[in-house]
Amino acid sequence: MIGTISGDRSLSERDEDAADTAAPRLEVEAISKSFRSVDALSDVSIAIETGEVVGLVGENGAGKSTLLKLLTGIHRPDSGRIVLNGSPVQIDGPRDAAHRGIAIVKQEQDVVPNLTGYENLYLDQIPDFTRFGIVNTDRMRSRAEQVIEELGIELDLAAPVSSYSFTERQMLEVSKAFSESIDTDHPIILLDEPTAGLDEDGRELLFNRIDELRDRASFVFVSHELDEVLEVSDRIYVLKDGSLVDEFDAATADESMLQRAMVGRETADEYYRTSRQPSIPSTADVALRADGLTVAGDVDDVSFSVRDGEIFGIVGVEGCGKNTLGRALCGVDPPDGGTVHVHGDPVDPTSLGRMVETGMGYVPKDRKAEGLLLYQPLTMNVSLPSIGTDRTSHSLGGVGSLLSLIDGGKEREMAAESVEQLDIKTPRLDSLVYQLSGGNQQKVVLAKWLQRQSDVLVMDNVTRGIDVAAKEEVYRVCRELAEDGVSMVFIGDELPEVIGMSNRIGVMKKGRLVDVVDAPVGDKPTEEELIEMMI
Amino acid sequence: MADGTLLDRAGARLTKIRAERTPQDWVIDLGPFVLLFLLVIAFSIASPNFLTVSNLVDNVLRNSTILLLVSLAGTFPILQQSIDLSIESMVGITGVIAAMLISDYQLGVLALLVAVIAGTVFGALNGIVFAKLKIPSFLVTLGSLSILSGSALLLTGGTSVPYRDPSVRWVSTGELIFSIPNIVIWGLLFYLLMTFIAFKTPFGRYCYALGENEEVADLSGVRVDRYKIGAFVVSGLLCGVAGALLAARTSSASPGMGTGLLLQSIAAIVMGGTALTGGVGGPHRTLLGVLVIGVLANGMNLVGIQSFVQEIVLGFVVIIAVAMSMDRRKIDIVK
Repeated sequence: MIGTISGDRSLSERDEDAADTAAPRLEVEAISKSFRSVDALSDVSIAIETGEVVGLVGENGAGKSTLLKLLTGIHRPDSGRIVLNGSPVQIDGPRDAAHRGIAIVKQEQDVVPNLTGYENLYLDQIPDFTRFGIVNTDRMRSRAEQVIEELGIELDLAAPVSSYSFTERQMLEVSKAFSESIDTDHPIILLDEPTAGLDEDGRELLFNRIDELRDRASFVFVSHELDEVLEVSDRIYVLKDGSLVDEFDAATADESMLQRAMVGRETADEYYRTSRQPSIPSTADVALRADGLTVAGDVDDVSFSVRDGEIFGIVGVEGCGKNTLGRALCGVDPPDGGTVHVHGDPVDPTSLGRMVETGMGYVPKDRKAEGLLLYQPLTMNVSLPSIGTDRTSHSLGGVGSLLSLIDGGKEREMAAESVEQLDIKTPRLDSLVYQLSGGNQQKVVLAKWLQRQSDVLVMDNVTRGIDVAAKEEVYRVCRELAEDGVSMVFIGDELPEVIGMSNRIGVMKKGRLVDVVDAPVGDKPTEEELIEMMI
Repeated sequence: MADGTLLDRAGARLTKIRAERTPQDWVIDLGPFVLLFLLVIAFSIASPNFLTVSNLVDNVLRNSTILLLVSLAGTFPILQQSIDLSIESMVGITGVIAAMLISDYQLGVLALLVAVIAGTVFGALNGIVFAKLKIPSFLVTLGSLSILSGSALLLTGGTSVPYRDPSVRWVSTGELIFSIPNIVIWGLLFYLLMTFIAFKTPFGRYCYALGENEEVADLSGVRVDRYKIGAFVVSGLLCGVAGALLAARTSSASPGMGTGLLLQSIAAIVMGGTALTGGVGGPHRTLLGVLVIGVLANGMNLVGIQSFVQEIVLGFVVIIAVAMSMDRRKIDIVK
């Protein structure tokens, strides 16, 4: 009941003496788990006290997700045990976990958009609210209202979830996690990348909630955003290759310390390989020029040009139109006005198919949904834009017609060349790409366009959702491409990345390109300077 | 560039993880072979007439050819994760067109070609409405199923159209090579052609890409509408061939002569390994499904199972095949 949570508030005042004597709320003791002889976790031990926020960081594949799945009973440990309040338990699945007070807020939102907020909150418990098989919506709704009021969250629960903003949905998920584990004292809420996709206000709101709720709950906070982990957590565990490699006190740690522990080496200094950034002479040929590009409601009269081998960054707050600009440049979302020139020739940005002929390529924001045929072989993914055309690295057969035939041998060669050029780690040339790690998947997306001999790439958040080491790899690839004369429009949400990589940076605000800042080696703009222009 | 060395160098970089195959992969890959083998064994034991050249060639293969053609037709839309439900009436109307042109206008063999062209046009119309007006293919072809069968009934007044033309009949029942009926040769030719198209042409490749993820294909610069229409053009063309050959074989055509082919072809396609979720399988596999259905029907006839029961069996076969072939993308991704 809700009462039990708030009723115990005094017990959970973060009293150092009490924490020393009582058993921790949750302990993971020497837990190991392997999948098909690959160690996902080996001998990991962590402890969480009541009222504590514990950060969990690590690269992709470090074992964070596996640990969360063990805690919610989706997987069973091979060895080691999970101890709650001093007594060992076996967790039999997410429902059992919830009964024991462990609930998870997942990365992907598990909401049913056409149902109301309160229906979503109690989706799996609707039978509990019935009488003779008829649902008592009033009771369900008032229970739900009570829960979110307790939590201090404001939501219109009677409205369908489809009308919620992304942040509101995330808050609904948090409420759901609480309501599931509500019958226990001091629930443990696992937050799996809860800020992915949230805007600044949403993050603020979420962090405030966590702060206020910590006297009655414990949190495990998993995120790639190290600054957030530092801000929210009390202590931070670092996982690397399935093992616990370090533990930090958030008050004394900083980002580079975490990063070093995660990657196992120094990265911050030469992260973006700025030493390899060339200065682009003003006499270099213009690869891409946009004049007065306009997309109704999103992009307003944007003009700029990018020279051969130049990386042109584009930054701006959420909703400034930078993503739409990227799509309009390539004809994915055809612009309503303005012109685009590629290599000096006017092109017709009404379809990507036509733009590709001119040497343009588009790396979309959502790799899995927009960039890759996940369940098809790597070979097929790499050759996808190239088949049936003559502008490719390996002519795959006849030219430009429906009847041109595919040469399987050349196709494998094409894939082999990409594997070597971009150092793609894959079991086989024809492995299905869903088996690759995020970073290697992103390299496959790049390979598609490189084999198509695209020399003007529009990249929307090219390192989104990949780990530190893989990001570094992608930066290296971008540098090499630039050295080969490939021009890039580098749209990014992460300012340090855009600053580190770009020759020049365009700042967008409310659909307009308000400024273009030079970013030469040794004289890069600071984040603060850019933010000032963005807002 | 030295080809071998490039592939070798890449080979040396490949990490040493073995791609795991799930039990379901094995079921999908080998299931139809095993099933066909078991059926052949079982019917050979149950009926002495089953395993004879005359039964296998004259009955199983000849009777399966029409099903093979319409199943190949249906494979391409399903590969793209669409579906063509109009194939039954497509066969009916193209057959009727051929028969009427022969009996009323003495067009002879040329009429068969007209029927194929008509099927192609109907397929193109299906595809254009589907791709350009963005109406689900399920609904477009459900509509044209009704439109075409109504039209065929209207053309014929609901009766069958007989004709006498030995040369037309020869196209289907003649024996150009050894003593194999020509209709079987036609089936084989189109089977090889469709398999070639699926693997060697951009169109075939894009069918797989579209079925897997249309958005990705679109963002790779593939002109998706063109290939979506293409799948229905191929489907219409093959149904036209099936209609023409069926009319030639029986020296008559009736509006309802395609009845029953839709369910059988979906069973064959799915059992062959082309999942309704798109992107996997292909026409080469469809042949297996067709043979399973063909052997099943022939064997049940020989052992004297009545046709009503056969229908019940077919229904079960479809459901089981779909259940077993739902694709593997739901499995847990292991890191």
